[in-house]
Amino acid sequence: MKIKTFKGGVHPEELKDMSKGHPVERFTPRGEMVFPLNQHIGAPAKPLVQKGDAVLAGQLIAEAGGFVSANIVSSCSGKVKAVEERTVAAGARAVCIVIENDGLFTPAPELGTRHSFAELSEQEILAAIRKAGIVGLGGAGFPTDVKLMPKNPDGIEYVIANGCECEPYITCDDRLMQDKNRSIVMGLKLVLQLFPNAEGIIAIEDNKPDAIKAMEAVCIDEKQIHVQPVMTKYPQGGERNLISVIAGRDLKVGMLPAEVGCVVCNVATLHAIHLACLNSEPLMERYFTITGDALAQPKTVIARIGTSVAELIEAAGGVREGVVLKKVLLGGPMMGIALSDLNLPITKNNNALTVLAVDEVEQAERQMTACIRCGRCTRVCPIHLIPQAMGLACERHDLEAFKKLYGMDCFACGSCTYVCPARRPLTQLFKDAKAAVTAAARAETAAKAAAAAKEGNK
Amino acid sequence: MNDTMLNISSSPHFRQRLTTGAVMANVVIALFPATVFGIYRFGLHAFLVIACSILATTFSEFVFDFIAKKPNTLTDGSAVVTGLLLALSLSPSVPLYIPILGGMFAILVVKCFFGGLGKNFMNPALAARCFLLISFGTQMTNFAVDGVSGATPLAAMQAGETINIADTFLGFSSGVIGGSALMLLIGGLYLWVVGDITIHIPGSILFTFTLFIALFGGQGFDLPYLIANIAGGGILMGAFFMATDPVTNPVTLKAQTIFGVIIGLLAGLFRVKGASADSVSYSIVMANMLVPILDKLPMHKPLGYNNGEYKEREFPKAAVNLTVIALITGFALSGVYAMTKDKIEEQKKLANAESYRAVLPEADSFSFDDKITAAVEELSGQTYDEASFRRTYINDCAVGNAADGSVIGYVVAVTTAEGFEGNIGVSVGIDPSGAVTGISFTELHETAGMGMRVDEDVFKNQFTGVAAEAFTLNKSASSSADNEIDTVTGASTTSGAVVEAVNTALAFYRDHIA
Repeated sequence: MKIKTFKGGVHPEELKDMSKGHPVERFTPRGEMVFPLNQHIGAPAKPLVQKGDAVLAGQLIAEAGGFVSANIVSSCSGKVKAVEERTVAAGARAVCIVIENDGLFTPAPELGTRHSFAELSEQEILAAIRKAGIVGLGGAGFPTDVKLMPKNPDGIEYVIANGCECEPYITCDDRLMQDKNRSIVMGLKLVLQLFPNAEGIIAIEDNKPDAIKAMEAVCIDEKQIHVQPVMTKYPQGGERNLISVIAGRDLKVGMLPAEVGCVVCNVATLHAIHLACLNSEPLMERYFTITGDALAQPKTVIARIGTSVAELIEAAGGVREGVVLKKVLLGGPMMGIALSDLNLPITKNNNALTVLAVDEVEQAERQMTACIRCGRCTRVCPIHLIPQAMGLACERHDLEAFKKLYGMDCFACGSCTYVCPARRPLTQLFKDAKAAVTAAARAETAAKAAAAAKEGNK
Repeated sequence: MNDTMLNISSSPHFRQRLTTGAVMANVVIALFPATVFGIYRFGLHAFLVIACSILATTFSEFVFDFIAKKPNTLTDGSAVVTGLLLALSLSPSVPLYIPILGGMFAILVVKCFFGGLGKNFMNPALAARCFLLISFGTQMTNFAVDGVSGATPLAAMQAGETINIADTFLGFSSGVIGGSALMLLIGGLYLWVVGDITIHIPGSILFTFTLFIALFGGQGFDLPYLIANIAGGGILMGAFFMATDPVTNPVTLKAQTIFGVIIGLLAGLFRVKGASADSVSYSIVMANMLVPILDKLPMHKPLGYNNGEYKEREFPKAAVNLTVIALITGFALSGVYAMTKDKIEEQKKLANAESYRAVLPEADSFSFDDKITAAVEELSGQTYDEASFRRTYINDCAVGNAADGSVIGYVVAVTTAEGFEGNIGVSVGIDPSGAVTGISFTELHETAGMGMRVDEDVFKNQFTGVAAEAFTLNKSASSSADNEIDTVTGASTTSGAVVEAVNTALAFYRDHIA
């Protein structure tokens, strides 16, 4: 099959071999488990348990706090130690449910009830997904049931299973596609039940031939589903680029994929949908890569959500002897979050830990020069922006110019920063500028609302 | 588990192993073949020119950073690139103060004063080259090496000589230090392979330029002619190394292509019609100045804005306004010029009248004969019979009239380029019998006390009243024949040039007046 791709993008060193060698095993956490209530896009969940309550593995501990929100289940059995505010990965404070893990993982009674594919109605599928607390496992964390309820279910033409995994280092989706190929296709078939006019396309980068083979093997008899290899290039797995490549349709910022007849789900999400609908298993664990040059034994494990980063690093053999830990990333090197504290939990949408002994940013900062206008950033931008001009606008704090240059379309893939020979922190500037624009818009709305309220009181 | 503090930064945490210094180093590597060949071909002096240029650029940047209390920026390597590029675009015979002055101008005036790396709006090396061309025209366009006068292949071709295409292509003909087309192509290819340049700029320049030369060069698709035009005259150096300077070309590939087309057109136009020895440097610095406008052209659409929803980027109004003002001013000036042209001409002729009167004192007034003037204009700056008189030119010819309007003689104004110190201008009065009525100098820069003595009456009066077909120079004893002119002692070059100039005037008189 013809390999497709988009215009732009970069080819960072893949470094995926590091974590590929080991067979996948389930990691059993020992310490306390932490569940932030906002580990998804939308309203935070509402806690259903209090300090001192006993909980079972798979038990609902917080329920969706609105339409765009998600349930949270405990991934262990034990006692609720606290419901308190803690610092989470991105550095913000959030309310978390802390559970003292009893190490038994006693399952909740309703877990494991089997359903057959044929007996489930569309409503039952959506309800099961919502109940299981499934969100986009590729990184964004958007509640999946909401995504699967577009205004125009009949207008959806493509359900795209995203198995690109374009970030360097990470191999958990690769592994999952080889181990759970049947489950992923079953999840995709469940989603296709909701969209009568859609075909399912599994997009996989061509650096994962084993995964492509495994997925093709189970798709042979599926008329509605086929595998589409795509070129190994970052950010091939970005939603807007993937839709552009697979469906030939372009989205601009703020548009939902459904508006151009597409639904994109990560392969891990589809696996979770299958388990939730047919096995009544809520989202408690996921394939998770623990990798990086600082680790003794990089590998992919099945990790329970809520496990602390420190425990997972130990699971991968800990830090190699003689190595000074420089940087720990939740996620991959292109879009991951640098952690300041290792006693943080992993959440549903985290797929990897990258533990580094060398911080390239440190070196890059020393080598920074003025922009030489070489235009490399413009050539690699997957959204076809002009990062060079946007960067200048940001440096002079000109948010209007930044918006005019379509700065709000930037999704911070990091390609421009990656290639910049002048080593300028472009993506970082854009993230700040976007935050400033959003904050300004929010302040304006609030001011208007306040003025309107005042008017109303008179 | 870990005692040290973890590093925190915003993503991405990965960087390509490429720095500004590496980009610049690649340019130096790409120029290496041309540099080595230039030194091999032109010897030690070429090496000294390169060394002086690079030292001047780097030292200027170092001093500027120091005085301006800025962090030292030498490590980015751009000053070295500028110095090398400048040196390679110079004649191998320039005096060493030329690369030094050029290097200082490039770095201080063009780069540092505008804010340093990335802020200069013109390629520093090219701007310096233009500065040198304007300030030191003679030295810059003298390609003679070891006393052998060398016309560049293009100049030779313009003079109607046949040139050796292979020599031109390899770089064995006269020209700048980095003039080997083959070596420049190798360097350009290297830059393309390592990804430091894309094909857009060199491709569009060379395509447009070649097309222009083929269409308007007057030789059609004559392959040797086209190859000579591409191999010589700096278009390859410009296309691969000067126009691709990232700082002074547009950011997007589409704008870069337009940029290249503009350069190709201008270079072609200047090559075919221009009076300057250099077509490429000027076309690139002009295109450099258009970059801010090219960067603003609304051509770059983000993903998802293709279906007519794309909001045009702000139109460069100021640029359009400026263009309109420039056009109006241009038209106004040319209008004024057209209206006053005849008057200016008249004034000029009045000024010349003084020297005419000196050599034809009996004339009451001077006029112009259309037929004679046409003959002068037909020569239009070409030498008059170079085989006999070497480089002499007929500037003008006036008719001397008596009070009653009858013709009593003619004045032929001649310039010879064969003086000891350059041009000598002579007005020669000739009466209708063909006898010289007197000579007078309109331009003379000879050596004081020697060549300058031709302006003394003792020398000039030797011509007066003599009717001869031609004068000869007598270098030994006193002259016996009327048409033998005694040389000014120790200034036979100057004397000989004057004699040739007078002979040219006589020849013109015979050919076009008598």
